[in-house]
Amino acid sequence: MGEKIIQLKGITKQFPGVLANDNIDLDIESGEIHAIIGENGAGKSTLMKILYGLNEPTSGEILFKGKPIKINNPTKAIELGIGMVHQHFMLVPSFTVAENIVLGIEPRKNKVFMDFKKAVDITEELSETYGLKVDPHLKVESVSVGIQQRIEILKALYKGADILILDEPTAVLTPQETEELFKVIRRLVEELGKTVIIITHKLQEVLSLSDRVSVMRQGKMIGTIDTKDANEQMLAEMMVGKEVLFDELEKKPISNKEILRVENIKTRDNRGLPALKGIDFNIKSGEVLGVAGVEGNGQSELVELLTGLREMEGGSLYINGEKVEPKSPKHMRDLGIAHVPEDRLSTGLSAEATITENMMMGLQYKEEYAKKKIHLDKEKIRNRTKKLIEDFDVRTPSQDVHLGNLSGGNMQKVVIAREFAFNTPILIISQPTRGVDIGAIEFIHSQIIEKRNEGCAILLVSAELDEIFRLSDRIITVYEGEITGEFKNGEITKSEIGLYMTGKHKSNVGRGV
Amino acid sequence: MKRSLFKDNLKYLTSVFLSIVAALIIGALIMVANGRSPGVGYMALLNGAFGSKYNLANTFAKTVPLILTGLATAISFESGIFNIGGEGQLYLGAFAAAYIGFTFPSLPKGVGIILAILFAAAIGGLYALIPAILKIKYKIDEVITTIMLNSVAVLLTDYLVNYPFAGTGQGKMGATEMIADKYQFTRLVRLSTLNTSIFFMLGISIVMYYIMKKTSWGYDFKMTGQNERFAKYGGVKTKKQMIIAMVISGALCGIAGAFEVLGIHYRFLQNISPGYAFDGMLVAMIVKNSPLGILIMSIFFGGLKTGSISMENATSIPSELVLVIQSIIILFLAGETGFKKKIKEMMLKRKKSEKAVKDSAKSAF
Repeated sequence: MGEKIIQLKGITKQFPGVLANDNIDLDIESGEIHAIIGENGAGKSTLMKILYGLNEPTSGEILFKGKPIKINNPTKAIELGIGMVHQHFMLVPSFTVAENIVLGIEPRKNKVFMDFKKAVDITEELSETYGLKVDPHLKVESVSVGIQQRIEILKALYKGADILILDEPTAVLTPQETEELFKVIRRLVEELGKTVIIITHKLQEVLSLSDRVSVMRQGKMIGTIDTKDANEQMLAEMMVGKEVLFDELEKKPISNKEILRVENIKTRDNRGLPALKGIDFNIKSGEVLGVAGVEGNGQSELVELLTGLREMEGGSLYINGEKVEPKSPKHMRDLGIAHVPEDRLSTGLSAEATITENMMMGLQYKEEYAKKKIHLDKEKIRNRTKKLIEDFDVRTPSQDVHLGNLSGGNMQKVVIAREFAFNTPILIISQPTRGVDIGAIEFIHSQIIEKRNEGCAILLVSAELDEIFRLSDRIITVYEGEITGEFKNGEITKSEIGLYMTGKHKSNVGRGV
Repeated sequence: MKRSLFKDNLKYLTSVFLSIVAALIIGALIMVANGRSPGVGYMALLNGAFGSKYNLANTFAKTVPLILTGLATAISFESGIFNIGGEGQLYLGAFAAAYIGFTFPSLPKGVGIILAILFAAAIGGLYALIPAILKIKYKIDEVITTIMLNSVAVLLTDYLVNYPFAGTGQGKMGATEMIADKYQFTRLVRLSTLNTSIFFMLGISIVMYYIMKKTSWGYDFKMTGQNERFAKYGGVKTKKQMIIAMVISGALCGIAGAFEVLGIHYRFLQNISPGYAFDGMLVAMIVKNSPLGILIMSIFFGGLKTGSISMENATSIPSELVLVIQSIIILFLAGETGFKKKIKEMMLKRKKSEKAVKDSAKSAF
């Protein structure tokens, strides 16, 4: 660790109605791994965007190597040697790895034509220097998420980044890929003298990777400490401002009553390729079945099939022992399935509508809230919404706020409140805490277990293994549309399960439970 | 509790108001550039629109087709299916009403009128059903099909009134026979075109307001339009909902056509509508599909229309100026978000430079 390469002084960023950054001071030392943690909406991303020139601060100044400097746009940031890898990758899927890496600063032949061969050479050289293995000829659409992230990092390094900002880099990775990424980060810092700033939610990662950690809460900088002096409990408290207990959740015994059963079900994905190649499982009343897998191995299609959003192409589905042909989402809802979808903004909500309008979806067909299923009882609907907002701790000035103005965690609470309030015997939950802060995660987890204890049969799909292990009674792993393993929770460790998720191990328990 | 909703609307209303003011100012500049006095011009316009009982009646008569086609636009746009074919549906509806009117002269009075209106609604609705089905079943863009079907309907009725149903007695002037007397709506003000169809129109508006704002259907329409996937996920039959919206939209346009025949012309004429459906669409777009807004904005547009004629007569300023004003309002509203951003940026910059000046002043001491 060395000199202070970047100093942020009194950075304030005012968005309309939101003070995203409030008088923030932060020093980044050259050659360190600096973690920035905080709940959603704490202002981490805004701060980093200011550093990368995507946002302009309302007031405050940035010192680079001790000199005040203005970073008005990313080009300026790149000139200074600051690179950023965004949470959502910005790659062209139909281009090759090499083409993506040189995009923007392409090597040219005769000043006009792109030199593809040179691009490949550059990629190989970068790959060698930084120890990030990639195949320059592959198209990006055909490589895994982990590799895509490497490409993003190489892209930044190709542009000459000495300071690398990584925004939630592990959100989409398997445990193995995460470990791999951490090795790369350590190598970049220790052997090549780079500086890394990493934004994350995950406290264990912070503790295992970083040198120093800065904690933000509600737009303010709470403090920066050396990681060796920190522990998980302490960081969590700093983040949420109150004591958070990662309690063991109390679980009641599972009943023997089978609620949902699927046999050999099959379906295709949006491109028409087989996405589920014959899957069997069952869920009992009061049981959480966790589905672990790297994203894109059929989980989304499974959820859509069970909720009537995707056509079933074979196999049988039984609810309470009765055979069911899923026809439409309405049909499945009528049969007692509620659904928390993986993507709240595209599927679970309407951003243009108010909270009340979002919360009333489904009520328009219930006699209780709509006389003759036509005349809406607005008063009753409003009162119910008000109660749900309180019960589920949705933080909003009013129920008439347009949903798009809420933070991610509060949006998710709106979805969960609505779906849980239907009191259905079956809950299909997908990525319940994606992009949600720690306080909200804790709340959502306890709500899920409460539902479980009430006797609900729950299918839980999550990319977060911690979540799967915390909530599930049983776990199945999926890989390329097939079940590769089935385990009682406690029978298997996280690293073992990673091997099943990547198809390296396979047991035949999946078929014919 | 409803404050934020009100605030949102207030902001938008301000934008609408400013757009109208800006358009009127530009209209005034055009008059000045042509050596006319805008004061005199606008007084004549105002006078012509609202100045006398007769003028007022004509203004309100104009609101009938505007409101009906405006509501037709609103319900389809709200539901995420875009009916640009109102004009064609209006023509077919008008012809359908006239057909009933001259074919069944002996029906009892009330029955005849109701039958004519229902038949016009059915024909308009069915005509809108075609593009709706093409969209749902074959994913053919309804914007294109509805626009094209306008020409089909206008030309088809041209043919019908010139050949199979050409009126007798007045020579071949592109009109059908007169409808029977008992089909004709009563005129309300002497010499003006205002007639009892305005009461039917008000009744229909109330029903549409109720459907759009107070019922499960209205909610389903809105959600389908805002986020179809969300609506479907929540159990709404989105395809059915879109088809229904389109049929209602077509039916309203058909009724607008029927009222032109039963209330004003008493027969079907070639070129019976000077683009009412398109004006109605503008009205709905300006007020973002709000039923109440359509009512108010239609009075303004109706006033512009009747006033422009008086203005032309009194001051020889061409009535087309009103079209320019209408278009400029739309232009400003279309640029609304862009303008807002620019203004905000300008204000921010000014604040900053003020602050910079202050800071430098401070450091100078």
